[in-house]
Amino acid sequence: MDLLPTEEQLEIIGTVKAQLESDFSLNDLAERDGRDQVIDDTLWQRCAELGWFALGIPEEDGGVGYSLVEEALLFEEVGAHATPGPFLATILAAHVAADCGESELLGQILSGERRVALAEPEDGNQYRLTDHGGADLALAISGSRAAILDLAGVEITPELSLDPLVPLGTASIDSDPLCAVDDPSISLRASVLVAAELAGIARATAEQSTEYGKDREQFGRPVGSFQALKHRCADMAVRADAAVNLTRLAALSVVAGHDDAEFQSEAARVLATQAALENTTWNVQNHGGIGFTWEHTAHRYVTRAQFRARTAGTPRDHRAALLGASAT
Amino acid sequence: MNLDLTAEEQAFRDEASTWLAENLPTEERPPEGAEMRAFDLAWQRTLFDGGWAGINWPVEYGGRGLSDIQQMIWYEEFAKADPPFTLNNSCTFVGNNHGGPTLILKGSDEQKAEHLPKILKGEAVWCQGFSEPGAGSDLASLNTKAVVDGDELVVTGQKTWTSYAHVADLQELLVRTDSDAPKHKGISWVICDMRSPGIEVREIETMSHVTDFCEVFYDEVRIPLTNVVGEINDGWRVAMSTLSFERGTAFMADQVELAATVERLIAEARERTSADGRRPAIEDEDIAKRLSMARAEVTALRAMTIAGISRTARTGIPGPEGSMIRLFHGELHQRIYRLAMDIVGAEALRLTPVDGEGVWTGPYLQSFAYTIGGGTTDIQRNIVGERVLGLPRQ
Ligand SMILES: Cc1cc2nc3c(=O)[nH]c(=O)nc-3n(C[C@H](O)[C@H](O)[C@H](O)COP(=O)(O)OP(=O)(O)OC[C@H]3O[C@@H](n4cnc5c(N)ncnc54)[C@H](O)[C@@H]3O)c2cc1C
Repeated sequence: MDLLPTEEQLEIIGTVKAQLESDFSLNDLAERDGRDQVIDDTLWQRCAELGWFALGIPEEDGGVGYSLVEEALLFEEVGAHATPGPFLATILAAHVAADCGESELLGQILSGERRVALAEPEDGNQYRLTDHGGADLALAISGSRAAILDLAGVEITPELSLDPLVPLGTASIDSDPLCAVDDPSISLRASVLVAAELAGIARATAEQSTEYGKDREQFGRPVGSFQALKHRCADMAVRADAAVNLTRLAALSVVAGHDDAEFQSEAARVLATQAALENTTWNVQNHGGIGFTWEHTAHRYVTRAQFRARTAGTPRDHRAALLGASAT
Repeated sequence: MNLDLTAEEQAFRDEASTWLAENLPTEERPPEGAEMRAFDLAWQRTLFDGGWAGINWPVEYGGRGLSDIQQMIWYEEFAKADPPFTLNNSCTFVGNNHGGPTLILKGSDEQKAEHLPKILKGEAVWCQGFSEPGAGSDLASLNTKAVVDGDELVVTGQKTWTSYAHVADLQELLVRTDSDAPKHKGISWVICDMRSPGIEVREIETMSHVTDFCEVFYDEVRIPLTNVVGEINDGWRVAMSTLSFERGTAFMADQVELAATVERLIAEARERTSADGRRPAIEDEDIAKRLSMARAEVTALRAMTIAGISRTARTGIPGPEGSMIRLFHGELHQRIYRLAMDIVGAEALRLTPVDGEGVWTGPYLQSFAYTIGGGTTDIQRNIVGERVLGLPRQ
């Protein structure tokens, strides 16, 4: 039993980090605020070439052959960099396509050739879509049912998004899905990956506040020497540590097929949501006036956390699921 | 990263659960005095005979030389066995959890040979004489004086908040051996025989009615110099090791038990009626929300504990990250018992003992200690801020 990443996993984390820092700088991406396609095709295909979408797909299906654990490590970094893009829909859709034996579709998703938006069912055939720009497919999940929908000919009504790097729209989709599965492992995967992204957000904002506490001086000394700020940073670090470690534990228990996998995953989702919402809020406060500016990245984490808290289920849904899950 | 148990660990888990089913006492723990001491020591002896004392201590001192993971597995099996008492609620706590580990790390061969087996066999009760009336959070300002006289130290002063001093045989005692040196440099860590002439112990009643709290007075108490652990005047460093165990691993049993407590509380909330009298308590929105968070948080506590063990497996001694777990655990423990008060209805106003079956209000009162003992949460936050995150000192 060991909860620290192996050498190989540290290498994956390092590569992902380096790539996100060079290709997904939030300051550069800010130019694309409000577009319906934030990540252009070249960049998306580069992510595909790095194997990010295929991490947890078995080698015989054209994947890299790792597991949900490595996918969760990727998502932790995606969260930590507030990286935009349909990572969740893409990876879940790849698993759905693999489950359905749709190898051609799987290949197109893994290569980044076809893009997948996320479609959250609202009412009947009404969906809330995110990351629809450039996508001709959408992944819809509801409970243990997951389906890949065809967006061809679907009319999308764009909406002003809380997070300008997460394009938002609504649409009604009537056509039959291209493929669908009824498989609880998809919703477990979704819970763990969203938890990982939220844990990454909690971690990055704890780090951002701590760094600022060391750099920014007032009254002739670093503001992080003041106990009020120091204690807030300590609390943020504890929340992040709890969320990161629990998410890793949950990923491992899903992969090991333990009886408590659902319990662990829902616990991770509930805890990471709380950690991200708290930490992103305090992170603005800890930066003072600059934290309230558009230019600073603090608000990006606030709105991303609010989005992810409501991606693939609301906080309330997940709290109820956790209370109903079996602990053993 | 893996959750696998080795064949040996799995066998260990099975062995623990089988043994507990056959050997767990059914009677409740006497709450005070000589009876309590006798009960705690008898249980420690039973543990030793069964091979469950010093699971992660070296074999040469009577331990089993196994891993921290196995130690944790033992705590998990103990909590699962539905015990009539809490493992850490014992006068053997200090010896098992930080006195012994400090000696293993810093003691001389003679000190280890003399004391470690007795701790494991339930032949000696240890207490911790660190805090003083004028030195709590600022421990290094302690004032109890020790003067070298021949091959002895002569100790005069006062300690306070000394848990179990009234039933203890020995004490991990911090004294000032050099009053001229800077405050961290003039302290020594000594083994004090609590039966020495010149020691007076007075009990202090607590808000939870537990009577194991004491103050200890020293009037020219003579302690052989061979009882100094580490070097004379280097006691601060030894004390830091003691505290790293106290903050890092000592509460592992409590942390594991807390998860079982939340499950019991969920069962209570299904059976009891909500405050409006119209539905099961668990269907009350506020209760459901808090119970769900509590479940998430105790699960996270376990993940943090395993991560802590994974780190210690690489470094050998718990680092300052232990304070993150201690901080999280202390406040969570309090939140959970406060939640219990809102679930148990009219029973919230009936006082129970702190330990035993189906008790909630006693543990609720006792939970206030969890954010004070072993360093207050403010001090833990300072440690996390400065030693884990590297923020500048005030
Ligand atoms: C149940 C229990 C068992 C104990 N058992 C033992 C034992 O066996 N042996 C032993 O030696 N001690 C024991 N203690 C004592 C314990 O270690 C001290 O109570 C603790 O370290 C706090 O010291 P204090 O009581 O002097 O409080 P103080 O240090 O006076 O603190 C008062 C308040 O000021 C705050 N404060 C102090 N300094 C700072 C700072 N720098 N920054 C921010 N806030 C600050 C504190 O957080 C607290 O809220 C026990 C305590 C309890 C409650």
